[in-house]
Amino acid sequence: MSESYDVVIIGGGVVGCAVAWYLSRFDLRVLLLEKELDICCGVSKANTGILHARSYHTPSTLKGELHLRSLPLLDEAEKELGISFLRCGALTVAFSKEEETYLRILKARGGSSGEIVTPLEIKNFEPYLSDKVYAAFYDPETRVISPFKLTVALAETAFQNGVEFIFDAEVTAFEEDGKRVSLHAGGKKYTACFAVNCAGLSSSRLAWLCGDKIEAIKAYRGQYFVLDKMFAGYVKRVIYPVPSSESKGILVTPTPEGNILAGPNFEEADTTETTLQGLEEVAQGARRLVPSLPLENSITHFSGLRPTLPDRDFHIFFSQRFPGVLHLCGIESPGLTSCFGIAAYVGDLLRSRGLRLVEKRNFEYRKPFPVFSELTDQEREKLIAQDPDWGKIICRCEEVTLAEVKHALLFSPGARTLDSLKRRVRTQAGRCQGSFCGMHLPKIMMEVLGIDYRSLVKSGKRSWLLAGETKEVNFSA
Amino acid sequence: MAAALSAWENGARRVFLLERGEELGGILNQCIHSGFGLHKFGEELTGPEYAERFAQALKRTGVEVLLETPVLRLSPDRRVTAVQRGGIFEFRPRSVFLSMGCRERTRGMINIPGGRPAGVFTAGLAQYLVNVEGYLPGKRFVIVGSGDIGLIMARRLTLEGAKVEAVVEIRPTLSGLVRNYVQCLLDFDIPLLLSHAVSYIYGEERVEGVVVCEVDSKGQFIKGTEEAIPCDTVLLSVGLIPENELSRQAGIPLCERSGGPYIDERFATMREGFFACGNVVAVFDLVDYVTLVGEIAGKHWKESEKRTPRFRLLPGEGIQIVLPHYLCNPRQGMLFIRAYRALNKAHLLFSFKGKVFYTFPVPVCRPSEMLRLESRRIPWPEEGGEITVEITGEEIQGLS
Repeated sequence: MSESYDVVIIGGGVVGCAVAWYLSRFDLRVLLLEKELDICCGVSKANTGILHARSYHTPSTLKGELHLRSLPLLDEAEKELGISFLRCGALTVAFSKEEETYLRILKARGGSSGEIVTPLEIKNFEPYLSDKVYAAFYDPETRVISPFKLTVALAETAFQNGVEFIFDAEVTAFEEDGKRVSLHAGGKKYTACFAVNCAGLSSSRLAWLCGDKIEAIKAYRGQYFVLDKMFAGYVKRVIYPVPSSESKGILVTPTPEGNILAGPNFEEADTTETTLQGLEEVAQGARRLVPSLPLENSITHFSGLRPTLPDRDFHIFFSQRFPGVLHLCGIESPGLTSCFGIAAYVGDLLRSRGLRLVEKRNFEYRKPFPVFSELTDQEREKLIAQDPDWGKIICRCEEVTLAEVKHALLFSPGARTLDSLKRRVRTQAGRCQGSFCGMHLPKIMMEVLGIDYRSLVKSGKRSWLLAGETKEVNFSA
Repeated sequence: MAAALSAWENGARRVFLLERGEELGGILNQCIHSGFGLHKFGEELTGPEYAERFAQALKRTGVEVLLETPVLRLSPDRRVTAVQRGGIFEFRPRSVFLSMGCRERTRGMINIPGGRPAGVFTAGLAQYLVNVEGYLPGKRFVIVGSGDIGLIMARRLTLEGAKVEAVVEIRPTLSGLVRNYVQCLLDFDIPLLLSHAVSYIYGEERVEGVVVCEVDSKGQFIKGTEEAIPCDTVLLSVGLIPENELSRQAGIPLCERSGGPYIDERFATMREGFFACGNVVAVFDLVDYVTLVGEIAGKHWKESEKRTPRFRLLPGEGIQIVLPHYLCNPRQGMLFIRAYRALNKAHLLFSFKGKVFYTFPVPVCRPSEMLRLESRRIPWPEEGGEITVEITGEEIQGLS
């Protein structure tokens, strides 16, 4: 027996979720398969969260095309997804006359939105920026978002509009079944007219499983520092150096939550471990831009991976052997920015192969669940009157209430792990990094999810949290 | 609790105690080992027992205790906004006593690179899981830092049947109390690696081990000394930070060195009507001192207007912290002093305008054990001004 769908999406990163969200507006039966226990567990969970402006698109590439296609969709997406971007703008700083020439290229690429500013002008709004800055390009169009928040919002909207999500389901084989394609995942078989491979770092492996020729995805790591919210406002805009051929360089950026991120470096590595050397490189790169950046007040470090192909472009193509399988490979930066454009493009491609896209009458915008820390006292009072759990703070650093934790656990596709709670409601994401809320979360998760301590995990299936109960003595023996 | 009691005993009649936890006592409730109250009560109590004495005493007063009521905001004009299941409350008292305690330093603050597997806990979090919730967070432990919570957890975990492979301390001396070293590590054959640091945590999903490395006198890793220790859990006991987020909101001047508000001998802060007591001022080594400080502060509840300090006390050579920072009335109060290094045959030197005017002998001093001195014993100069406190002596190597 196998379940039958119009489209199966493989991978619950920001791209997979964006495709799911896009398709959820049409009368289709859509399934998203994710090998981890939650969405946003791979490439999407660790990046800078910048929605790069037009000036940062890469001309004459698919990457650049989809980047540009995405930008006009952002405002609409904000409404539909019930999220808000931080409209902070960006400064690209040049340290020499030679570097300044690059600013002119950026300006030309960005059209009329940006302007070149002098050190004196910059100092007014970024007082901590290096004195050695020669000139800068200011682009007001640049926005920032939490990549978790975006991915979760996409997934929740898709879910609310009928997309099914199955976790712990790694795709291990494709099969031909007449005109339809079948996928084996997590011990089950799923059949669909189309499958969309949004598997990030695993995307070329899946293409190979279909017998398609594509070069191996290579991971390039970038490490980051996360600064305490105490320093919110220290840097108000995304501050880029002049980019290199490899990456946009080590930058400093505010986050919508009030932290400051410094990173990423660019190194060949396929694990998300951090290293002293890498962090040192990031520290140097960040201090080149903002010499007094209080990195000693970082609350944590992390690293993310860029899934790249040799030509550094996105490769989106139908399988040779399975005409219904669409591969999305090499979706590295600006994948987050481009996700809306990619989703629309995927829609076009599937339509061109015969998928009927009939708009639903009842497509619903996401109604975001309230965030206690962002509410006024009057709004809080109202919520507490409805449900006293709104008056019970679980995470003191980020002011997260029991009501929010419960909702994150119960609302599907819900949080099943400590890390997925972090990505949804920011428990354990504050300055104590879970030393306080970590005391209470295990019990709450066990109670709300109806599981015992053996099923409590941090992220992956083997990331167990507790080894056993104390005093496990059997007196009857 | 000590401040509330003391304020009540000294005539305050509208006293509210706002507690974010479900019970009074804070972290004491998870400290089920004994050793609390030796100074205060002359007997060895467990943490919950110690807390219980104060909770009981409070019941005999009219202090109104609000549990599960964290403070959301604190304004410079003493508006206190708190939340609980019943709603949001606002208070505007004559005096506010800050006693939010401290928080543990985390992995991000000490830069241990590596993977991000499950199984890295602060020692206090692990203590809560074991002692209150009844779960073992792992089976094979490496403890980073020789702070008291880490030492006590080493013993606790051993008693629960877990294996503690080592306690790794980056400094050449112990961070916690010597009595905890003896009772928690020596008695249980748990190795203490001084001048060592964890340079890497590895593990895909759950911790699989750490790399431990020797460090030189500047705390830099010595190449070639790396050694892997397999384990499934890493506990961090690498110091505590006073929790002054609310103090900051209220615009109370903070001392970078002690981590808490600048205070005078009454434990009044530099902002009108705000007192601070306990670990929110600086991290004390004994709860008895925390209590004492609360009692001192509570006594002065009426004095919401500011006083002009006569002396400013400055930490000099060899000194980490001197409390209080200011003295208005030097005949009152108690000085708390923490040294940087362990010393034998030491002397505390008090100087004014470059001249030592008082010397106080200290046979043995350790950074982990605060020195305490009654202010009135010191022959303060007639004139006001800056006083520098220094300590000199013979440096102690290792644990000897």
